[in-house]
Amino acid sequence: MDLESKEVVETTGSSTHTREVRFTGDARSYFSIWLVNILFTIATLGIYSAWATVRNKQYFFGHTQIDGHRFDYLATPQQILKGRLLALACFALYVVSSSYFPLVGIVLLVAWCIALPWVINQGLRFSLRMTRYRNVQFSFKGQYKDTLINFVLLPILSVFTLYLLLPWALKRIDAYIHNNIYYGDKKLTTHLSTKEYYLIAFVCFCMAVGLGILAGIAAFVIGISDNLLETSQLIGVGILFMQFLVVIIVASAYKAMVRNHIFENSTFEGVAEFESNLAPIDYVLLNVTNTLAIVCSLGLAFPWAKVRKAKMLAAATVVHLNPDADEVINMQQAQQSSFAEEAANVFDVDISLT
Amino acid sequence: MQKVTGKLYSAGSNASVNCILHNSNGQIRVVKDDDLELSVPLQDILLGVAIAGQAQDITLPDGSRFLPDDVSFRLTSLSGVGLLERCERHKGLVLSAIFLCPLLLYLVFFVVVPSMAASAVTLLPNSVVEATGRQSMLLIEKMALEPTEVDPTQQDKINALWQDSLNQLKLDKEKYRLGFYRSDFFGANAFALPHGQIVVTDELVAKLAKHPEALRAVLLHEIGHVEHQHSMRIAAQSVASTIALAVVFGDLQGVAELTLGVGSVIMQQQFSQDMESQADDYALHNLEAHGYKAADFATALKLMSSDRSTEQDAWSKYLSTHPQVGERIERALNYQRAK
Repeated sequence: MDLESKEVVETTGSSTHTREVRFTGDARSYFSIWLVNILFTIATLGIYSAWATVRNKQYFFGHTQIDGHRFDYLATPQQILKGRLLALACFALYVVSSSYFPLVGIVLLVAWCIALPWVINQGLRFSLRMTRYRNVQFSFKGQYKDTLINFVLLPILSVFTLYLLLPWALKRIDAYIHNNIYYGDKKLTTHLSTKEYYLIAFVCFCMAVGLGILAGIAAFVIGISDNLLETSQLIGVGILFMQFLVVIIVASAYKAMVRNHIFENSTFEGVAEFESNLAPIDYVLLNVTNTLAIVCSLGLAFPWAKVRKAKMLAAATVVHLNPDADEVINMQQAQQSSFAEEAANVFDVDISLT
Repeated sequence: MQKVTGKLYSAGSNASVNCILHNSNGQIRVVKDDDLELSVPLQDILLGVAIAGQAQDITLPDGSRFLPDDVSFRLTSLSGVGLLERCERHKGLVLSAIFLCPLLLYLVFFVVVPSMAASAVTLLPNSVVEATGRQSMLLIEKMALEPTEVDPTQQDKINALWQDSLNQLKLDKEKYRLGFYRSDFFGANAFALPHGQIVVTDELVAKLAKHPEALRAVLLHEIGHVEHQHSMRIAAQSVASTIALAVVFGDLQGVAELTLGVGSVIMQQQFSQDMESQADDYALHNLEAHGYKAADFATALKLMSSDRSTEQDAWSKYLSTHPQVGERIERALNYQRAK
């Protein structure tokens, strides 16, 4: 879940509040945290990864502020380690059985598909419950049945309609996630437009086709003019890289447009409204340059890229706080969570709320 | 004695008030704007995560939470606090981590994991090996093999040669089984499964039709794979490295993408090159030991690789995991001379 876009509430104060979201982290301090995380994780054969996760998340949560109040990440390393061990046991079971007993592996795969909606729910529940703003925690109240329909059945159905239903299915998923988010006792209400999703999908489709043609022409020209490139392997790598770039460009544009649409149509009843002014072209450029920087620096530019992205997302977000809002009551028990949530969280069902 | 201004968030709601925190003599005192005071012993409070550029929050026993305004403020006099933060601020450590990380990764994935996998395989019970072999064979049969078209008289000839070899090697005839299959996927090839099933494709039979002694050499090579438990070792290796990758890279964002694919592929290649040499040695040794020529194996390799260009696809699959054919032919010929 991307925290840069986390929602907010304000109750005190008397004037109308329009608040920008600030990200106060910097590449330098995150670089050391990131690198030490990696070093300790490898040195402890993965055990430290639980601590690394907490420090990583807290860095981005704590540096994201609205109205001078920061977010907190509440999970403890012990919770994450416990869940990770269970998940690892499941994963090991699957890997061992599929390498040594391929038939058992297939059965486990089917079982996994059935469990998937449950895992997605538990994962969302955990990550929202572990998110706190001003001593009030978020929560997620989705049900197995709805997750099964929205995350599994509809996307499969859309394949049989030549993907014509896909934008609608994606809208259903986004609407389902957001309409089940709570901040304390306040529910998030999101009204998404199917038309908008089809429009966005159409724009992205045109972009993909256009870029594909451009890439084809470029490859053709380079292929003719430069005989050095006749080794098929090099061309293969080039084509792969271009495909990769096209995917990044189209995915970024999609994300930016969808984010703007979701934010503009979401409200915490009587508490806060949102606005997102993320220009798709800016976001595309950011992701392309980030990817190039990471590849060229052999990964060392990762912290810089991540901080840069967080800054852009925060800067593009505005929150309108309702001065007359009642107090928001925290509905969660401190840091309690169920073991199932902790375990499911490890499968990293990373559903971005951007 | 420490003193810092900050916000006190009330327990269970989003309300907050400005206040001042005093820390002295093992006692925390929080003084609010309205002069109300809260006093708590130091050992009853709960400290949040200490991280660069962020204030460390202090949770009081009643669930309310104090957040200092000064982001660099850290509560003193609690032992062990801030060790991680100190590490992250240590320039020497951070710089050396740039070099230590790749080094440690190499050690873990190329030294520790392979040796662990190899020793784990020797502990596997026979029933596991049997089940593994059977199930793999079932899948391969379904996906890539079709009934043989080799004529029965030739099959009988090869089977006789096979039985002959098993007798000479004093191997269990219940365990070792030879099967003929037609396969477009494998081309001219032979392979062994861990439980002793050896598969020879029709194309290979056709190619070595005039050289039964070369086919014998190939069969010995495959038996070598089984005797050394190579498939089980490959499986163990891939299991161990997959799990290790999952553990180590579970949360190392950005690194996984770079290393995941490359590392495991290279490791497997390395592993199977050693294995091929080992199986070659088994074949060469036993050819010489039972009165045949190690050069037969060289003949087989030459024949199998003769018209590679026409079967590029089938062969690139096979060759990618095999040492250079030229080298292997050379070794087979030298093996003979050395005797």
